[in-house]
Amino acid sequence: MEPHASSFVSKARTAFHSAAAKAERVLTDFKIDLDSDKQFHDDDFGMQRGDESARSENESKFRNELKHIKWRPPGIGTKQDWQDRINNIRKGRKEVEVTDKVGDVNVGSVPFYDENLYILNVKNDLDAKASEAIPTVEGLTAATKHPIPPSSVLKQLAIAIEAGRQTNSMKDFVASSPAREKAGLSISSVKALVLREKEDKLTSEFSSDEKVVYLINSLFDQEGEFLRRKINSDPEETSISSLPRDIHGAPPESLVVKLAEVIGNFKTLRGMSLFWSRVVDELRKHWSEEKHLLGVPPDDIPDLKSCLLYQQFQVINCCISRKRRHIIAIESLDSMVMEANSNTSDSANYMGRIPTSPLLYARLRTGELVLRLGADCPSGDLTLLETGEPAYSPVTQEGPLLTEDLIKETEEFVLRTGSVGAGCSQLLSDMQAFKAANPGCILEDFVRWYSPPDWMESEGSTEDRDSFYGGESMSSRGQLSLRMQKEGNLWRELWETSKSVPAVKQTPLYDEDLAVEGILDAFEDIQPSELYRQLFVSLLGLGFAIAETMLSGDIDTSKLFNDCKEYIVTTSQSDGFHEKVNELVQMYETVEKMLLNPDKALKMMKHMEESTMTTDEPKRRFSTGEPKHRFKRFSHIFGGKDKLLTPVRKDEVNDEEKQIRHSFSSFFDSKSSLFSKKPPKPGNLYPGEQPLSLERLDSYLDKVQFHPI
Amino acid sequence: MESSPTQEFEYLFKLLMIGDSGVGKSSLLLCFTSDSFEDLSPTIGVDFKVKYLTMEGKKLKLAIWDTAGQERFRTLTSSYYRGAQGIIMAYDVTRRETFTNLSEIWAKEIDLYSTNPECVKMLVGNKVDKESDRVVTKKEGIDFARECGCLFTECSAKTRANVQQCFEELVLKILDTPSLLAEGSKGNKKNIFKDKPSQSDATSSCC
Repeated sequence: MEPHASSFVSKARTAFHSAAAKAERVLTDFKIDLDSDKQFHDDDFGMQRGDESARSENESKFRNELKHIKWRPPGIGTKQDWQDRINNIRKGRKEVEVTDKVGDVNVGSVPFYDENLYILNVKNDLDAKASEAIPTVEGLTAATKHPIPPSSVLKQLAIAIEAGRQTNSMKDFVASSPAREKAGLSISSVKALVLREKEDKLTSEFSSDEKVVYLINSLFDQEGEFLRRKINSDPEETSISSLPRDIHGAPPESLVVKLAEVIGNFKTLRGMSLFWSRVVDELRKHWSEEKHLLGVPPDDIPDLKSCLLYQQFQVINCCISRKRRHIIAIESLDSMVMEANSNTSDSANYMGRIPTSPLLYARLRTGELVLRLGADCPSGDLTLLETGEPAYSPVTQEGPLLTEDLIKETEEFVLRTGSVGAGCSQLLSDMQAFKAANPGCILEDFVRWYSPPDWMESEGSTEDRDSFYGGESMSSRGQLSLRMQKEGNLWRELWETSKSVPAVKQTPLYDEDLAVEGILDAFEDIQPSELYRQLFVSLLGLGFAIAETMLSGDIDTSKLFNDCKEYIVTTSQSDGFHEKVNELVQMYETVEKMLLNPDKALKMMKHMEESTMTTDEPKRRFSTGEPKHRFKRFSHIFGGKDKLLTPVRKDEVNDEEKQIRHSFSSFFDSKSSLFSKKPPKPGNLYPGEQPLSLERLDSYLDKVQFHPI
Repeated sequence: MESSPTQEFEYLFKLLMIGDSGVGKSSLLLCFTSDSFEDLSPTIGVDFKVKYLTMEGKKLKLAIWDTAGQERFRTLTSSYYRGAQGIIMAYDVTRRETFTNLSEIWAKEIDLYSTNPECVKMLVGNKVDKESDRVVTKKEGIDFARECGCLFTECSAKTRANVQQCFEELVLKILDTPSLLAEGSKGNKKNIFKDKPSQSDATSSCC
C-alpha cells in the first residue's frame, strides 16, 4: 500500500503545481478585464505567487503542508499581519516573500482564497468576511464582457445544490450555517453565544450592506441593462429557444438567469442564502407596489416548459396585470351604473332621450329598457330569441394561473375525490355574466354563444312547441341538440341557478392575492437544493444558448459542442440529476474552453475519450479481483472524488464510511478520471478543480490506510 | 377487467381526449370503460374515468381525462396536457369543421401545452355508423395522421365498433416507448398519483 500512496502523492503534487501555474495564467488574463474588482484578484493572485515559491519543497514537506491545511491550527497571524503580507505581495517584493517564508513556515500552506476567509473567521471578524464574500455590481458587469458566465459561478451553484440537499427549508439553511461553523471552530459555549449575537447583527447588516442594496437595485432595475450579454439569436432563433426549455431552465436574459449569475458569484453558502431572502423581500415589495418584474413577461400564463421558479415569476407579473385590469373594470362599471341612475332620476330628459352610446341597454319584451352590465362586444349577428335584441359577449373572469406544482396537486385532487367542480364554477360564472350583459336571454341564447354545435338550426316549423318558448318565432329558428335536451342536464340546472351578475362583481374564481402570497411563502421556505438546482440549470442553459450561436460556424467545435449539448439535455431530463451535477459542470467547462481556447479544448476532448476507453477495461476485470489492476481501480475511485466535493466537512466515522462506499459506487458511474494512465498534461487540467481535490486526496489516503480494502 | 378501487397495478398512464365539442369524446370514453352508449350531456370542464386492464403481461391503470371542447373551457383544460403519455384527437366524420379544427386548433394546443415530447398521439374519426352523412373520407384521415405522425383509426361509440381496439392500440404504442413506460412505472418518483382513488369510474358531480 505504501508505494502506491507515495506514487499518488507524487502525481498529486505534479497536478497541483501544474494547476497552480495554469490558474496563475488564467487569473492574469482575468485581471486585465476585472480591474474594478482589484482587491479580490490581488488576494487570489498573491496566494498563487506565494505558492509558486514552494515548488522546490520536497515530498514530505508537501505532505506536512497538507496536514496543516487539514488541521487548521489556530493562532496564525493577526489580520494586520495578513494585510501587510498581502500588500507586500502586491508590490512584488521578492525579498519580502523570502523573509515571510523563513519567518512563518505556514505561508505556503495557505494557497486557497477560502482558507483566508476561514482564518478571518477565526479572528471573529464576521463583518469583514461578509464584505469580502459579496460580489459587486461592477465586478459582475465586467464579467459580461466574457462570452458566457465563468464556470466558477456554475460550480458555486453546484456546491450549493449538494450542500442544500440535507436541508428542507431555506430558513433552516440560513439558521444552521452558524452551527456548522461553530462546530468546526470548537469554540466554548460563551463564545458561541457571542457569535450568535454577531450573526444576528450580521444578518440585518447584510440586507442594508451597500453592495447588497446596489445588487438588488441593479437586478430589479427597470432599464434591464444589468448582466445583459449579446446573443446573436436572429439566424438561430429556433435552436436558441429550444435548449433552455429542453432542460427545463429559463429563457436567456430572464430574471431567473440573472439571479443565477448573481447568486453564483457569492463565495459563501450563507451569503447565497441571505441574498435569496433579500430577493424575496424585494419581490414582496414589487407585489405590494404592483410593479412588474423585469425580465419576465408581464401578462403570460405560466410556461410549463420552463423551470418552476420562472413560472412563479410569470404568475406574479400576470396577477399584477390582472389586479390593474380589475380595478379599471370596477371603476368603469360603477361609473356606468351611476350615470344610468342619474339618467333615470331626471325623468323629464329621460323621456325624450335615446340610449347614449357609452351606456348599453336592452329592451325586454315588455318594452322596458334594462342596462347591460359587463357587455364586451356584439356576438356576431346573434340576436336574442325572445326579444330580438343583439346578443353581446360578456366580459368573463379569467382562468386560473396554474404552475406545474399546482397542476399536479389539482389533478391528484380530482383523481382522489372525483370532483370536477372547476368546470362547473367557470360555467356558472359565464352564465351569470351572460345574463348581466343580455337582459331577457334564455338558456338557448347562452348555448348559441357558448356551444354553437349544440344549437340546431331548422328551416321551417316542423314541430309544435310549448307556448312557453314563445310559439311561432321560437320554433321557426331551431332547437337545442338532443344531448342538451336530456332530462337532468347539468347545464340547465346551472342556468336556472345562475343570477345576473357581471364578472367583475362575482366571487373570484382565482384569487390573485392568495396565489401570490402562496408563491412568496413558498419562496421563503423553498428547499435550498431545489432553488439552486433551478438556478444552476438556467445558467447552464444560458451558457449553451450563447455558445451555440458562437460555435455554429466552426465544424470541429460544432460537433464537439453538439455532443456536450445532447449530454446535458439527456442528463437534465433524467431522474439522476443530482448525481451528475459535477459532470454538467465539466461539460460547461469544456464549452467555455471551446470559446476561449478552441484548439486546447479539442485536444482535451481526445484525452477524455482515451480516459473513457481506459474505464471499460478495469470495469470488466474488477470482478476477477486481480491485484495487478488495483492501480486502475484506484484511479477511478479518485476520479469519483469530484462527487464528494463539499464545503461542509463531516468528521464522523459514519460519514467517512459513507463516503468510502460512495467512492466505490462512483467507480462504475464516473465518466471522468482525475488520474489517467498517462501523466496529465498541463493544458488538460481544469485550473479551479485540482486544488480543491488535493485536500480530499490527503483525507482519502488517510482513510485508505485506516480502512484496508 | 372491470375497475375496482383496490385493484393492483404496475403502471399508471395518463391519457387525454381532445377535440371539438360534440364529436363524441365522452361517449367514446364511456364505451371503452363501461361498454355502453349514451347521448351524454356536454362535458363541463374536464371529467375522467379510470380503467384497469392487463396488456402484454403488465397490469395497467389508465387515468383517462375527458375535456370539454368549447373554446371557453380551453384555459381550464390546457393544464391537463401536462405529462400525458397518450393523446386522442377526436373528430366527427359527419362534420368537416371538426376535422379542420384538428390542425387549426388542437394540434397547436398540443404543441403549446404538452410537456411530453414522446407522447403518443392518435387520430380518431367517430360516428362512422352514419355512413350516409359522412363528409370526411378515411383517406383524408389517414393522410392527416401520417402528416402529424400519429396513429389513426375510425370507430363508432354508438355501435361500439372499433372502440376497444382504438384505446388498446394507443396503449400498446405507449408500452413500446421506453421513456413512456419508465414514466408510468409505479416506482417512478414523479408518479405521485395515489393508489386508491375514493372511487373510480367517477361521474360528474356539481360544484
